[in-house]
Amino acid sequence: MARIVLKNITKNFGGVSAVDDISLETAQNEFLTLLGPSGCGKSTTLNIIAGLESTSSGRVWFDEDDVTELPPERRDVAMVFQTYALYPHMRVRENIAFGLRMRKTPPHEVERRVRNAAKKMLIGPLLDRKPRELSGGERQRVALARAIVRNPRLFLLDEPLSNLDAKLRDSMRTELKRLHGELKKTFIYVTHDQAESLVMSDRIAVLNGGKIQQLGTPDEIYNQPANAFVAGFVGAPPMNLFDGTLRNSGEGRWEMIGNGFVCELGTQTSGRLRADTPAEIQLGIRPEDIEVGMDGAPTASPTGLVREPMGSDLFLTLELNGSTFKARTSPTDRFVPGDRIPVQFRPDKLHLFERTTGRSLMDSPKI
Amino acid sequence: MQDTPTRKIILHLLVIVAMFYVLTPFFWVASVSFMQDNEAVQMHWIPRKPTLENYRMFFTQEGRSAEVGKAAARQIPRAILNSLLIATFVMTINLFFGSMAAYSLARVRFRGSLLLLFLYLGSRSVPGVAIMVPMYLVIRSYGLLDTHLAVILAQSTFTLPFTIWILKGYFQTVPIDLERAARMDGCTRLGALFRVFLPVTAPGMIGIGIFSFITSWGDFLYPLLFTSTIHAMPVTVLISDFTQELQVSFTIIAAAGVLVILLPIVLAFILQRFIVHGIGGSVTG
Repeated sequence: MARIVLKNITKNFGGVSAVDDISLETAQNEFLTLLGPSGCGKSTTLNIIAGLESTSSGRVWFDEDDVTELPPERRDVAMVFQTYALYPHMRVRENIAFGLRMRKTPPHEVERRVRNAAKKMLIGPLLDRKPRELSGGERQRVALARAIVRNPRLFLLDEPLSNLDAKLRDSMRTELKRLHGELKKTFIYVTHDQAESLVMSDRIAVLNGGKIQQLGTPDEIYNQPANAFVAGFVGAPPMNLFDGTLRNSGEGRWEMIGNGFVCELGTQTSGRLRADTPAEIQLGIRPEDIEVGMDGAPTASPTGLVREPMGSDLFLTLELNGSTFKARTSPTDRFVPGDRIPVQFRPDKLHLFERTTGRSLMDSPKI
Repeated sequence: MQDTPTRKIILHLLVIVAMFYVLTPFFWVASVSFMQDNEAVQMHWIPRKPTLENYRMFFTQEGRSAEVGKAAARQIPRAILNSLLIATFVMTINLFFGSMAAYSLARVRFRGSLLLLFLYLGSRSVPGVAIMVPMYLVIRSYGLLDTHLAVILAQSTFTLPFTIWILKGYFQTVPIDLERAARMDGCTRLGALFRVFLPVTAPGMIGIGIFSFITSWGDFLYPLLFTSTIHAMPVTVLISDFTQELQVSFTIIAAAGVLVILLPIVLAFILQRFIVHGIGGSVTG
């Protein structure tokens, strides 16, 4: 059990800041995901927590202990790597036992714990094989067994599912969630896959340019993005963003005038508007919040470009005055490319962002 | 590129030509070593009356040793011992210093590392003959002439840059996550190096070790320059002594040549997997 606290962590490589003044605190036994694109600083942050990377400034705390200067071998942390990092010259049994041996665990205890870990990860029959004789999924299980066998106070997982095929990734996701529930330990998980982070995490920290863009529950991250970056990064397909001007249409009602459309803000949306909202803004709407082919007055009538049937959903790429956006609809809809398709933006599902900084203009998300 | 039948045939032909080019001298030396003296100068490829007489003199010091190369033949065991000693030390120096230098160049970021690497390569591109005189003067000034150390130092100078280059490339193929995993598992940096990195790179290290051993074993120029007595003289130099007797016996030189190349050939055969791994391979899978 560990509560991890990062205080003003900065890491510079040469003149470049990979991590820029990050502060973060996990709850006990939390599953926290660091999510972001390549080069956003998420793996560097994880390596700093592991002790594999030193900080340029800032402190790292595990519960009451300041571990900033502690080398990795003295932090009691287990890490699972994207490449699995199994020792190729050792058999699976020796790979799992290695950490225990380094800690001078008695041999009978090593054997018992290796067997337990192997049983938990369903790799009992593989114990006498070499890593090169295993499939990707089996290697991943061995890597996880190697991590859990030591019963460390913290688990760090660096994109552990990226090298697996889609089907295996799905089952390993479930496996990891089960493991987290069983072990009751803090997990810090790094990924660039937003879907993975939404499914698995208690909370997500979205990183970009070495800074935390938003820290919140998956629901907050998805429904109340703190800025246009988070809105555009989380969600598949991501949120549609349009430039436009906000106008007070009287009696406390607001409308947004974009290129080729005018849409009125719902009372819930306008109720959350900040007092300092400027006129020039960016409007965001998720594909599922665009109603397609409805009966009422449309927000716009864009042209259909591409149909992408996804089984339970149909995604349409639409074009409006030179800009494209996506809408989700029912697979039974029969639109074909070239059709003019009436759409309506759900008034209470709109997100407004400052055009220059991308900051959300709506109250409530935590940064 | 597609593996068409024509391409296959051309590749096989090229391999056969290359093999022919490389193996013909060995075949000729082996063949001559079983010939009588008068046959050797007639340029036969196959001995008409094969004889072991040329070999017998190295072991019994009787028979033909009375005629030619008697003194040199008596010294063959000592010369082989010298060669073994020198080659083993050269190999050890290459493995120890080469692996440390290569590890630093492969893993540690420091100013001037690339320049250093090219300096190593540059030093390798200077032919041995070009620096013979300065090398001789340095060795003489330290009073090391006719010692094993002189030959060991000279050969290490020439083999180390190559070793560093090859090992650096080889070490870079080892995923850094392996050492990181070892650190997480409780190893210190040095522990990760000895318990994980070096065992993982063992095939490459063995390969490069054998390579430096064989290079030293077969070297002639510097041992000839630095050694003058059997005290430190390796077998390659001693063999050339056969020609300094009253008459030159090609058959005895050939027999000595066969004896000398036996060890490297046996080593290369037994450990060929490691040689390929070390010089052209990588640590994956």
